[in-house]
Amino acid sequence: MSNTNDFISHLASKLGRSTPAQTPPPVDISVPQYRLSNSEERVSIFLQNWQALGGKGAIVRSSDETLQCLKAWFGDLPLNWLKDNHQALVAWDMLPTVAESAFSTLNWPLTRYTQSTLDPRDRYSIAAHAELGITGSDLGIALSGTIVMNSDPLRGRAVSLLPPRHLAFIETTKIRNNLFEVLEEVSVLGTPPAAIEMISGPSRTSDIEMDLSIGVHGPIEVYVVVIDN
Amino acid sequence: MTMYNLTTDQRVDEALANNFLRQATRRATDRLRNNKYKASEELGNWEQWRSAGESIRKHVISNLDFYLNQLIEQMEQRGVHVHLAKTPADAVGIVRNIVREHDAKNVLKSKSMISEEIHLNHALEEDGVAVVETDLGEYIIQIAGEPPSHIIVPAMHKTRQQVADLFEPIAGYALSSDTPTLTRFVRIQMREQFLRGDIGITGCNFAVADTGSIVMVTNEGNGRMVSTLPRVQITLMGMERIVPSFRELDVMLNLLARSATGQRLSSYTTILTPPKKTADSDGPEEYHLVILDHNRSEILGDKLFRTALNCIRCGACFNVCPVYRQLGGHAYGSVYSGPIGSVITPLLEKDWKKWGHLPYFSSLCGACSEACPVRIPLHDLLVKLRMRKTQSGHTPQVEQQIFKAYRYFFTREKTLRRALRLGAHLQWPFVRNHRISGGPPPLSNWTKSRTLPMVAPKPFMQVWADLNNKR
Repeated sequence: MSNTNDFISHLASKLGRSTPAQTPPPVDISVPQYRLSNSEERVSIFLQNWQALGGKGAIVRSSDETLQCLKAWFGDLPLNWLKDNHQALVAWDMLPTVAESAFSTLNWPLTRYTQSTLDPRDRYSIAAHAELGITGSDLGIALSGTIVMNSDPLRGRAVSLLPPRHLAFIETTKIRNNLFEVLEEVSVLGTPPAAIEMISGPSRTSDIEMDLSIGVHGPIEVYVVVIDN
Repeated sequence: MTMYNLTTDQRVDEALANNFLRQATRRATDRLRNNKYKASEELGNWEQWRSAGESIRKHVISNLDFYLNQLIEQMEQRGVHVHLAKTPADAVGIVRNIVREHDAKNVLKSKSMISEEIHLNHALEEDGVAVVETDLGEYIIQIAGEPPSHIIVPAMHKTRQQVADLFEPIAGYALSSDTPTLTRFVRIQMREQFLRGDIGITGCNFAVADTGSIVMVTNEGNGRMVSTLPRVQITLMGMERIVPSFRELDVMLNLLARSATGQRLSSYTTILTPPKKTADSDGPEEYHLVILDHNRSEILGDKLFRTALNCIRCGACFNVCPVYRQLGGHAYGSVYSGPIGSVITPLLEKDWKKWGHLPYFSSLCGACSEACPVRIPLHDLLVKLRMRKTQSGHTPQVEQQIFKAYRYFFTREKTLRRALRLGAHLQWPFVRNHRISGGPPPLSNWTKSRTLPMVAPKPFMQVWADLNNKR
């Protein structure tokens, strides 16, 4: 478009040269990056930071431990939610195996978000009325207590956003030291997905008299189950 | 917006008389500043990070044409509609057209300083469109009809009771003023809006040139709502808001979150590479990117001020500025306040009559330059702006007269001696404790709040002469 050409060449003239044809050589970046020596340490720091932000977290080694963990966190609440709303538990199409088997043993039926209905508005409404959104994670960041999720046709971005509670599963092997490593891995994949969501704790605001308040828009309670396999 | 009609002096007087505002400003800035100290220390060698941030920003700005072109190409290849706006009016027109084309009635907004800069809400409301600010702070000031008083916590000047009173007509009942009640009210109220929104308008913290991605950080999650739920999304960005690739994004996100609020990362950091894939269940199908110039290209061509474009809008300079900490943001009268606002407003708006006071909202102590995560020499730019203003002939009459008088006396030795002798006599009615503490205007502007040293009974010229005689 000539409009774009004009816009760009105007900038070039302001810079007093013509627009480079090649990507300019990148700047040297040397910053001290946060690194831990092993996976165990990464998991423990990840959980520590996640909890410091107000999230709940646990490590599990089997489907049975997952079940125990979910029982301890939610008790019989899901059964009560399901009485009022059979779509109270909304999830991605596929969760890690231990998670799937724990939910089926508990007999907590999951509503698969993307298959729930065709109309997007109705889907949002299902997610908004659900009590718990359940997802996996693609990566985690130890330093900031962050889970990273890529968008995908089998997932749905609203699952981690609209319900008042978000439960995420993450394998220990996916936890990285810092943001740099995560971004490096994402760039290797080529064109990024439509959305990469990095979530560090619950929704928070300090907009009223600098008083911290949780859950103004996003999930109020956030849970992460780290799967050690 | 009544504050726009006041003179600078009136706004300053109003701010100084508002005790809650001044307390709130100190509380907010203290908190944010101390959090930043903690977060920057734990990162290990903050100066190295700052230095990396500075080099990245300088590199981007000096290759802005290349990276902007790359960003536009990437976006257009994937079917994003890119719009280039030379002026705020162009940008408003572009958004208005998109909204009209879709016959949209409900527009959701997450935080965007560009939308404040171009005064977008007002224009859309004129078209009968309901615009909802979804960031809690922005929502509060939208109802109050005020501009932001801080770039990160825009409603920090409101008491919780004022917030409750603002919400009352919307709720239809009186709300108690505790934070959980107010937050819960907004959650419920806003939920309906989110699910109804036709178009989402967002800002942009960084745009990644080589992937054509938009990065947005929020703590509330409203940015995610606005960029996930509506079918159409519009992102407004200042044209300088670019990083070359994900490699540089790491440094910038670390600097931004830590400098703004002292967090390691904001609660939600979202990297959008729009539009959504056909099979994706959520996300906008239609995506518009509006890139605003508004004299940024002039700043780019102005070697003295080019570094002003390096800013990442973290607000760290606000929190250390002695002037901002005394006055809060509204006294500046501009959309962008604080040290960086005083630098960029005159450059963007090009109106010395209206914005000539801003370079003087500074003690030139340099705390802003020290706080800046990308090392913009803010205090230095403020001095250079004062120079520009003077060169452009916009010095106030009084100042011109004073400097004329100064030249007159200091080029005439005898007259100066006489004047000093006279001054030494005439000053007595105004002297308290060996300081001049009163006087006629324009001197009274100074002596209202401060004192001046006395004219020495024996002038320096005389002391010097006596010393010479003794030798």
